Amino acid sequence: MTVAALTLDGLGVAFAGFKAVDGVSIIIEEGELRVVLGANGAGKTTLMDLISGKTRNTSGRVYLYDTDITHWQEHQIARAGIGRKFQIPSVFRELSVRRNLEVASFETPGVFSNLSLRQTAASKRRVEEALELTGLGPQADRLAGGLSHGQTQWLELGMLITQNPKILLLDEPTAGMTQAETRKTTEILNALRGKHTIIVVEHDMAFVREVARRITVMHLGQVLAEGDIKTIEKDERVKQAYLGSKGIM
Amino acid sequence: MQATKLRLNLAVYVIFIACILLAPMFLEEFALNRLAKFLVFGMLGVAIALSWGYAGILNLGQGLFFGLGAYMLGMSLKLASPTSMAQGSDTPVPDFMLWNAEPGSKTDLCCINGGSWLWIPFQNHWFGILMGMVLPTLVAFGLGMVVFRKRIAGVFVSVITLACVLLVRLLIVDAQPLTNGWNGLTDLGILTIGETEFDPYSVTTYYLVAISLSVALILGRLLTETRSGMILQAIRDDYNRARYLGFEVSSFQVFFFCASALIAGYAGMLYVIVAEFASPAFMELSFSITMVVWAAVGGRGSLIGACIGALLINVIETSVSETAALVEAWKVIIGLIFVLVVLFMPQGLAGLASSVTDRVLERFSGRAARLRQADSQQQPAE
Amino acid sequence: MVDTLFIGLSVGSVLLLVALGLAITYGAMGVINMAHGEMVMLGAYTTVMTSTWLGLGIWWSLPIAFAVTALVGLVIERLIIRRLYGRLLDTLLATWGVAILIQQMIRLEFGLSFFGIHIQGLGPGLQNMSIPDVLAGTINIFGTELNKYRVFMILVCALMTGVTWLIMYKTSVGMQVRAIIRNARMAAACGVDVKRVNALTFAFGSGLAGVAGVLMAGFKTVFPDMGTPMVVDGFLVVVVGGIGSLIGSILAAGLLGQVNAVVAWAHNDVIARAVVFAVVILTIVLKPNGLFAYKRR
Repeated sequence: MTVAALTLDGLGVAFAGFKAVDGVSIIIEEGELRVVLGANGAGKTTLMDLISGKTRNTSGRVYLYDTDITHWQEHQIARAGIGRKFQIPSVFRELSVRRNLEVASFETPGVFSNLSLRQTAASKRRVEEALELTGLGPQADRLAGGLSHGQTQWLELGMLITQNPKILLLDEPTAGMTQAETRKTTEILNALRGKHTIIVVEHDMAFVREVARRITVMHLGQVLAEGDIKTIEKDERVKQAYLGSKGIM
Repeated sequence: MQATKLRLNLAVYVIFIACILLAPMFLEEFALNRLAKFLVFGMLGVAIALSWGYAGILNLGQGLFFGLGAYMLGMSLKLASPTSMAQGSDTPVPDFMLWNAEPGSKTDLCCINGGSWLWIPFQNHWFGILMGMVLPTLVAFGLGMVVFRKRIAGVFVSVITLACVLLVRLLIVDAQPLTNGWNGLTDLGILTIGETEFDPYSVTTYYLVAISLSVALILGRLLTETRSGMILQAIRDDYNRARYLGFEVSSFQVFFFCASALIAGYAGMLYVIVAEFASPAFMELSFSITMVVWAAVGGRGSLIGACIGALLINVIETSVSETAALVEAWKVIIGLIFVLVVLFMPQGLAGLASSVTDRVLERFSGRAARLRQADSQQQPAE
Repeated sequence: MVDTLFIGLSVGSVLLLVALGLAITYGAMGVINMAHGEMVMLGAYTTVMTSTWLGLGIWWSLPIAFAVTALVGLVIERLIIRRLYGRLLDTLLATWGVAILIQQMIRLEFGLSFFGIHIQGLGPGLQNMSIPDVLAGTINIFGTELNKYRVFMILVCALMTGVTWLIMYKTSVGMQVRAIIRNARMAAACGVDVKRVNALTFAFGSGLAGVAGVLMAGFKTVFPDMGTPMVVDGFLVVVVGGIGSLIGSILAAGLLGQVNAVVAWAHNDVIARAVVFAVVILTIVLKPNGLFAYKRR
């Protein structure tokens, strides 16, 4: 029996009347790796914003397993188990790579509970695992601001993993990467498959073919189609939405 | 190499604290009193580095907290002054209140003028000391809760703190009958706790200041090494990232803002003991920005750096200012220093020291590695 | 009451002139120029000097002060500001140092006082400017006696604001400045010579402050520290009005000027300034982007 990890129920938001996301309902199962596709302005990033609490939705609900997390604050949503990677990679530039991961591994949200010089064994272990997984071990003592673009992306991914979330929201994790870097990112994601529930927004079709089992296509703020790659490629509405550019594939 | 650097850093703390604790062996009382003042400024440097360097909050109104601390203890010491018993009443009444009193009002704190009753609890100096720490922290807490909850950041925080310090300064100046306005609190008594008199020129007072500074440095450094301290630096770099990692960003900012205010308020109290006056000049914009200069020169990212920066600038300033003609020239120098530091040395002396250490350590470890390599190559030949 | 509002208007108009320069440089270049107040001071001293040494009246001082301060602004931009783009708070600190330097330059008479040489009109003391007879006394407008000099101030400020508006909205340089305010990188990519435009912007903003200084010289004493409260007030106006918004600055200057005048009339000057600060704090807390912020995505 499968369990729904994330349930979006009629989720929507309007900016001054303009509906950027409009009545989106998606169920994502535990352990699934879901790819969200769509042209620019289809509402993919806004959807991520709504789930992670960056933007407050004006209609619908968000459930993480059985918990209604609609309108929670960002840090509460993160603590509930949703980790988010941004489109423009953001890390703590003045801190070392290891320190970045350590900060991500701390387990309580407030200032008083963190007034301690010690780190738990579990958090130390997760830092080591993330260094291993992302291959950033040799750079561990360097300042994060000095990393290459690809390394910065992996560091942010590593921070998400160290945070130990139930669901990972990845906004264009391969944006601006070379082919080799994209390949490595694919490896990292495949290693995470099954351990975490993952939602990826992506354009790079080579990457999508490599990782995706199930795809949701968005168009003008709504869900246009859902299914595996084959179904999506054959779907008439998807083709129509991308008419002229000979489909998205 | 990281470990070596940490050890060197700790060594600087130890040497510095040892130096200030041993100073009374070499200095006579006048110089000691002067050094005590500088140490108080060093404490302000620590407060600035904590909020600016570690939290990324450039507070242009740190003088507010310093001034509040100073006034709180200043009120108690004013009541302890012999001049306050010279009004012919049974309980102490500050002399300036009499000068400003409505004709015919009773010479007593209860009702000599509207609001003078606020002074009543300050007859107990413990109340003054307590308020000197509580009030700055409380004000910082209130301000922080509004500002950081609202997610106000960067230059806007600087503007608000700047407006706050100027606002409070004007209120104090305007409340002349209560605060003696522009003149501030002068002719203060000497703080006496139990049998101990904290005469500003005594070694006892110097030790009070030096030990307070040492404690502030050590506690501050420990605070930055806690998990909260690390998270705080992360928030400074990218508060959004920290938020989405699940940290309640504003609680960290408020806490460290309060910590910085507490240190500044405490420094204000020490200053009143050492300098024997409290004045609205503590809340002038130029003083608050001067504190930032100290921290910038010493290194905003290092507590001890900012502290040493404050000491250094004040020592030079005092020695230059002994020649009257050079007083104005000194201001030129300080202006120039400021421009040059911001342009060419944004991390201050501490940053300079850190990069020099890095280079030396690298050369050292590089040579060690080459030696090892040479050894291992030679061994098979033998 | 009309009197009070009129005084408020005149105070607000000088404030506006100071704020306009800050608003453009802050909006376009991301520079907080704490030495802007010293431009006001230099403008005032230019007035004193031209009248003492050249015997020229306030009419001549206006263009001369504009030229002098614009030139000084250009030099500061070249030497310091240019190296600090993108480091907002650092510009604040560095220009504070510049402000001290300029003050000391006047106070020490360009350093000549060390050699016992004194220049009349400079130095640490107070300078007083007499205003021409035409501007002395009062004028009757709509049945109210109004101080002529204040009317003159309001007119000059209105004129300079109008000129600024024309330059910003009707010339190609102005369009480039507005483009930089919206998105400096994009502007650069579209062929705007950002460096040159920034330098011109900075010089123009400094010149406006210089003109404000001439006006100040006519009704307040002139001394080396006079600029500091001006820059603080100007800066508050910019923040309250919304960074990058000219209309915001104009309205905020009017608002703060009026608040100041009305409270000063009802209580006293000290409380009036305190209330201005309180208004500023409240505004930032309630509308962190200012009253008329341009919305970025």
